[in-house]
Amino acid sequence: MLRWFEQKDTGRPGVISSRIRLVRNWQDYRFPSTLDEKESGEMVRSLEFGLKDLGKDEGHNFEFAMLGDLEELDRVALKERRVLNSAAVSNKKPAGIFISENEDTGIVLNCDDHIRIQLLQMGLHLEELWERAGKIDDYINERFAYAFDDRYGYLTSFPTNMGTGLRASVVVHLPMLSQGKKFQGLISDMGRFGASVRGVYGERDENFGSLYEISNQKTLGQTEREIIDTVTKAAIQLTNQELQVRKLSLQRHRDEREDEVYKSYGVLKYSRRLTSRDAMIFLSQIMAGLADGLIHTEEDFSVYRLMLGIQPANLQKLSDRPLSKEELDGARAEFIRRELPEL
Amino acid sequence: MLCEKCKIRDANIQYTEVINGTKKEHHFCAQCAKEMDFGVYAAIFDGEFPLGKLLSGLLGIEDTDKGPDKLHQILCPTCGTGYDEFVRDSRFGCADCYSVFGPLMEDSLKQLHGNLIHTGKTPVYQRQDYMDLRSGTGEHEKDSTEDPNSAVNYEEIFQWNAKLKEALRFEDYETAAVCRDKIKELKKGNEADA
Repeated sequence: MLRWFEQKDTGRPGVISSRIRLVRNWQDYRFPSTLDEKESGEMVRSLEFGLKDLGKDEGHNFEFAMLGDLEELDRVALKERRVLNSAAVSNKKPAGIFISENEDTGIVLNCDDHIRIQLLQMGLHLEELWERAGKIDDYINERFAYAFDDRYGYLTSFPTNMGTGLRASVVVHLPMLSQGKKFQGLISDMGRFGASVRGVYGERDENFGSLYEISNQKTLGQTEREIIDTVTKAAIQLTNQELQVRKLSLQRHRDEREDEVYKSYGVLKYSRRLTSRDAMIFLSQIMAGLADGLIHTEEDFSVYRLMLGIQPANLQKLSDRPLSKEELDGARAEFIRRELPEL
Repeated sequence: MLCEKCKIRDANIQYTEVINGTKKEHHFCAQCAKEMDFGVYAAIFDGEFPLGKLLSGLLGIEDTDKGPDKLHQILCPTCGTGYDEFVRDSRFGCADCYSVFGPLMEDSLKQLHGNLIHTGKTPVYQRQDYMDLRSGTGEHEKDSTEDPNSAVNYEEIFQWNAKLKEALRFEDYETAAVCRDKIKELKKGNEADA
């Protein structure tokens, strides 16, 4: 079965993926940070038992694992594939995860909050994901009453999640727009409408690969539909502007663009060593080149799958021994040579 | 403009310093700015959990020592989370912390969310009053044959009820009257449907 990020979405150009995350707490227990080891274990086991038939009615298979039973490398690899967040990777207390076969649905138990429901899909599909998340939410709620307050909504560990407990996010590819002088201003404008935009890879304001995640800032005082609407509109707005800039660049600098894309392909296809930074920059060029019809490969493929595949823990997982930094760069180049289709 | 410290990255933070009446402008990139000492505002440059950290700043983590002693004695009776701990971590220890610390942080929450009343989804399966309203009997079973349109009405009634409670709390009787009428109207509609 193809995992969610291996599927190609032919929908809106520039949109990579959508994500819905809901956090909930079971009203019978204190929040995870104040539970001791014994209580945590007892709670996770109760949740595991109560949710063991999750997805059965719809024919979906979920596997359950205690996070502590997974190797640290596996947890980091799952974070790189966006299933876990940093809190789940570093978590030391008893915690568990229900995960679907293609990794698009994950329910993490007892990390920052008792229950963290997350759904991922390629393309712009927040509405659809919200529908599905809502069903899982109701299924869990039918078995475990939630900590809820008329005024504050769903009660969560962090005030930044209270209310709906919803984080809706969309990853978009903005290689040209982000180079422009007005980009920072554009991001601030989005902030005024309640959508925050941040670079996905690289540190601080360096963003290798030009992938940006747009998500809602506020969780209280807005309905879920309003939140989804804000993020969807911001995604459409930013990708539309990117498309305009790209169209202009094709009209004015087609030769240069073509040259950049083919050079990137050449480097990716023949390199023997590639740093994460370089690989992301060249893959970003290929992504834009494919979308603009500047380059064609023999088979259709998801560039995003390669972007996730070349992250350190996922590469390390392919090897049977620990790799040094140089060896990792070698493994990265080899992975891309193998996975990048012929022209 | 390039950052005046590293001279590599673009400067996107402008810092104005006024010493003895002499104004000096500096331009830094986010990375260099983070390494410098901006006191409580440093949280802004920390990408790990900016909103939470910022909230600590807004709540006045710097001022906790000077604040009234009473605040330091506040403790959640259920989980034992203290005021200082709550301000430091921006984290609730249990559901009851909301009633303990909630009223103390209304202004910060308003700054964070802009609005203090939940208007989104409500849990379908657990609310006694809500379930009574839905089924008319108080049973906790979900009725699958229920008309979806009437279910929407009940949800609306529930939301108006919440608004009514809020209005009464702030002694805003004008809004309360509007809510009360709206609830009456919705309830009538449901009876007519039935």
